Amino acid sequence: MDIGQMDLLRHIKDHRAKQRQKKPIKPDVFNQISSIVKQYGLKESFLDIFDTVEDHLTPKKVNIYRIKVKTPAVRPLFSLVAEEEYHLTMSIINKVDTPYLIFADSPDEILLCNPLYRLNPALSSETLMHYHFETLFLHECAKRNRMNTNRE
Amino acid sequence: MKQLLDAGLELVLESDFIYFPLLFDPDIEKEIQTVFHPEENKGIFNGYESKAVIKLKDKYFVKGFRLDTLVKNYESINPHSYQHMKNECLRRYQLMREVDETFLEGTLRTILFQVMPHFIKKNKGLSRKKLSDEAILDLIGQKINVPEGYYQEAKMFMDIDPLKEILKNIENQAPLLEPPGNGLTSGYKLRDWFRNAVHAKVLSDEVDRIAKSVQVRQQFSRIKPEHIATLLYITDTGSMEIDGFGFIRKNADRKEYHIYKHSGDYILKDYYDRSYLFPDCRVAVSTYTPFRPFVMEKYKHPFLLEHKSGQEICLKNFNPPDELTAKRIIGVLEEGLTALRYGYDPRRRNGYHSLDQLWVHIPTIDFEDYRI
Repeated sequence: MDIGQMDLLRHIKDHRAKQRQKKPIKPDVFNQISSIVKQYGLKESFLDIFDTVEDHLTPKKVNIYRIKVKTPAVRPLFSLVAEEEYHLTMSIINKVDTPYLIFADSPDEILLCNPLYRLNPALSSETLMHYHFETLFLHECAKRNRMNTNRE
Repeated sequence: MKQLLDAGLELVLESDFIYFPLLFDPDIEKEIQTVFHPEENKGIFNGYESKAVIKLKDKYFVKGFRLDTLVKNYESINPHSYQHMKNECLRRYQLMREVDETFLEGTLRTILFQVMPHFIKKNKGLSRKKLSDEAILDLIGQKINVPEGYYQEAKMFMDIDPLKEILKNIENQAPLLEPPGNGLTSGYKLRDWFRNAVHAKVLSDEVDRIAKSVQVRQQFSRIKPEHIATLLYITDTGSMEIDGFGFIRKNADRKEYHIYKHSGDYILKDYYDRSYLFPDCRVAVSTYTPFRPFVMEKYKHPFLLEHKSGQEICLKNFNPPDELTAKRIIGVLEEGLTALRYGYDPRRRNGYHSLDQLWVHIPTIDFEDYRI
């Protein structure tokens, strides 16, 4: 057996060993959002709020003293939902096309995904996991205001 | 599985199978899209096919299980729920509480009709005529408060026509229950059908008991409904007390009872002629060996070894009977009562303890608190 064959054999063995390794289940947007839809009993009308959510987030209307605490719920690894819930979940996923959606733990956070992503698309996953999106949104707004004041 | 029926879902019934609303995730949706191409949909719309997933009124349903197998195997699938439904069914036909067996069973009859009349005040004045069973039941009815519900149950108990009908159907091998028709249905409807089907199965399994019940109830057909209500109440509660006499069922399956009589307060005197007032207690005998009199409560007495409940009374020259008859039950109870009330001899200080303190270094029970 020459060296080339030895390498190939090792390569095959390594490859098979890797295949046998347990792979962690990655969090899935569908599981996350469908669980929220089920838990909060969201209906089709929820989609209409997306169009008006931006109006409610003007600096004047947002209560800066209100700090919401994120309470992450344990989500199932695999989620199956009824047909209506499925369509709503898919509509939400299509409407919120940001990587932050997977970290949303409540309907409010789903609604804040797009505005927050627009303010700061570089938030780390740890930050998104630990702080409520409203808190982060207020923080980003404050940061932006400060920058604007400094420029003036 | 029954929880699915209880959830009030929209279900489809096809070829004895229940189809449940299909649950979705992206993979399932992909599969459905490949299976249900528009050109294939036509066939599925026109009639149901034996498929794992069917589409009806724009909704997808997935094949579940056969309805009849759920009925047949429900006892193993969910024993607790089955037992609940079984009890519900048996209660409907008054087959629940082993009433028929208890009516035939000798112990309760002996206690009610032979032992009890000896201890309770039966007649007004001085007349001492022997009471018939009916008169005893009348007397019990006067002395205990039978809840209204038992009178309704008594009427149902005496109505043996439904049981006869069930027996006839079983003998004719009629189907337990026709399955509901194919098509879209609600979970609640199916749940009701399922309950009736389980009831039908329970009744067919209990055919021997039903036959026996019909036989027993025919024997009791001449008894007044109020007497039946009294008997149902006593059978249900397993205990009763009239004029200081009573009984308590100790073991429902083995039909064992403690039959007791209250002693009432009584006074005993000690060596120095001082009086001791003893409180009331229940002197009892059990319907299982040893047939010896004992005190049910925590009690102290010169004839009881300790100060605790359930102690046998110390009796001299007492031979417990081998078999318990009404006469012997009466004898044992009277023996026990007499011993407690009149058996202590202050001169001899008989029994385990003496009423007056002997000042010896032997631990003994103290009766000072009873002294008057």
